[in-house]
Amino acid sequence: MKKSAQASVLSRLPILIFVAWRNIWRNPIRSVLTISALASGLVMVILYASLLEGMTRQMVRFATEISTSHIQLHRQAFIDDQDLYATLPWSYMQKLEQEFPDITIAPRLYASGLASSTNTSTGVLIKAVDPKREIEVTKMLEHVRHGKLDLGIADITENGFARYNLVIGAQLAKNMNVEPGDELVLVTQAADGSIGNALYRVAAILKPLEPNFDRMGVLMSIEAYQQLMYLENGFHELAIKVNDLSQLENIQADIIEKLNKLTAVEPLDKLGGVPVVRNWRQLNPAVADLLELSKAFVFIIGFIIISLASLGMLNTMLMAVHERTHEFGILLAIGMKRRWLLLMVLFESFFLSLVSAAVGSVVGLIINNYFEEHGIDFSQSMPDGYDWAGMIFEPVMKGYLIPMDVVYACLMMMVVTMLASLIPSWQTIRLKPAEVMR
Amino acid sequence: MALLTLQGISKRYQQGELEVNALSDINLTVEEGEFAALVGPSGSGKTTLLNIIGGLDSPTQGTTRLNGTDITTLKEAQLSDFRLFQLGFVFQSYNLVPVLSALENVELVMVLQGKHKNECRQRAEHYLELVGLKDIMHRRPSALSGGQQQRVAVARALAAGPRLVLADEPTANLDSENATALLDIMHTLSHEEKTTFIFSTHDPRVMDRAERIITLQDGKIVSDERHHHEHKT
Repeated sequence: MKKSAQASVLSRLPILIFVAWRNIWRNPIRSVLTISALASGLVMVILYASLLEGMTRQMVRFATEISTSHIQLHRQAFIDDQDLYATLPWSYMQKLEQEFPDITIAPRLYASGLASSTNTSTGVLIKAVDPKREIEVTKMLEHVRHGKLDLGIADITENGFARYNLVIGAQLAKNMNVEPGDELVLVTQAADGSIGNALYRVAAILKPLEPNFDRMGVLMSIEAYQQLMYLENGFHELAIKVNDLSQLENIQADIIEKLNKLTAVEPLDKLGGVPVVRNWRQLNPAVADLLELSKAFVFIIGFIIISLASLGMLNTMLMAVHERTHEFGILLAIGMKRRWLLLMVLFESFFLSLVSAAVGSVVGLIINNYFEEHGIDFSQSMPDGYDWAGMIFEPVMKGYLIPMDVVYACLMMMVVTMLASLIPSWQTIRLKPAEVMR
Repeated sequence: MALLTLQGISKRYQQGELEVNALSDINLTVEEGEFAALVGPSGSGKTTLLNIIGGLDSPTQGTTRLNGTDITTLKEAQLSDFRLFQLGFVFQSYNLVPVLSALENVELVMVLQGKHKNECRQRAEHYLELVGLKDIMHRRPSALSGGQQQRVAVARALAAGPRLVLADEPTANLDSENATALLDIMHTLSHEEKTTFIFSTHDPRVMDRAERIITLQDGKIVSDERHHHEHKT
């Protein structure tokens, strides 16, 4: 046997690749249909990944920018029981601000009460903020649907008391049938045990941002809260925005360390519990889990779509192999090894999937570009956005494509199609030339 | 030493419940450079015998020696190499790879052999010129007539430099003129290239050009006659 007979398959690759490439254009209509099916599948996967990523990014933005911010500080008793007395002293806020110049902070206070309008009464959640600080930390106050954002003094009553403005949730306004300019009475139990009550003016109505706040949220200034609740010695919640999100965990750890030192110097009462610092993932575990799940969703849905599209590829290759059995017999007879034949058929599948990947990626990127620019607009049917998994989303669903997602989708498509093509490829190497040439 | 020696070749296969004897105790010796025809009626075992000589089928009994190698003992991969380097094939029809041009079809076997690209090109062009197709060597098979396709197949078989060319009814689908022309080319090249040809046929016009006629009937050799022909150059 000649020496060159032992030459590796590698030296034959160019001719196998050459013949395989020619073969896929043997029946152009069939190949174009197969490529169209695979490319369409890939486009769907790319757009699905893009829209899901857009939604999850919106979810993160809502989870951090709208209300929660990146880090929050509470006392344990407030977390456990919404304990009105579980406040942190104002001095803590000042010292944290001095210690961490790269963070922005906003204090908040909470209470529950009863709101009454002319015709109806309902339980409400009172949230007090410092508007100037809050605007620096979250975008909650930017989402006014009706009225003008103003948490200051509306007017002075005949008795000489200041009447403050309120901002309320859209659903609450609807339920209580109030509009900007209407009056609202709040009744609650103040910190000193007395019944706190006051008359307020609704200055603005917020767009739906958080389902709970939308249904029962009443926003007021910290001054108005202190006057209503007789609670002046501290705050319930500190929302913290960090400039560099990649340093979130480090900053969280530094704040914890600083608070440990602070509590040693300036001890807190035992009933309120220890200060607890949590980042947005810990505060919104459902959102954090959804983010993780969304990756799995993309993989599972992508796999299903690609697998279905690959059935077209399988059919094409089965037909191609079936109608060429005589030709394969000739090739085996003239000395082509079975493994070379297997490689040639696999190359045909590879080229089909490669062209499909290229076409699908280009088309997917073009359509995705539109989705990133304009999105899918639901504002006609859902002007306030839509609610999914307890989160409220903007009415325009926009895509956000991570370039590596396209690479992964292409790789997945190529792997799945190559696996599918193993079936027809396997058939070729089991052919008996003497039989197929009869 | 003879180029090809068949000893006690038998081939039996099952057809339903029947056991069919396709070949029975075939003993045959073919010398180097012979231009031999296997003749006989349909079902006499011509194709089966060619398949066994070419290592495409295995005998139930007996041995096939080509150039000293007992090919009945070779494994699959060895048989592929054996066919690639020692044998040339011309089949009845659809011999060529449709997506390759005539030139590329002729080059294919040499490329698979691992020959250098330039050598493949030179030899392919040379043999296409010998079969009179150099002018249309870039055409694909679909643009060639049946006779031209068979001539490309002959060029492919010879360009690879085989010891033996096996042709299974190469003229079966050709008209009289093309059949005669193809046989003349095969005959000429057999002498010029000192290549042994064994071809099956039941066409009397083709038999007339054979130097040796081996007649098969019911799987047995019933006659083996030698003729002398002046070949055209």
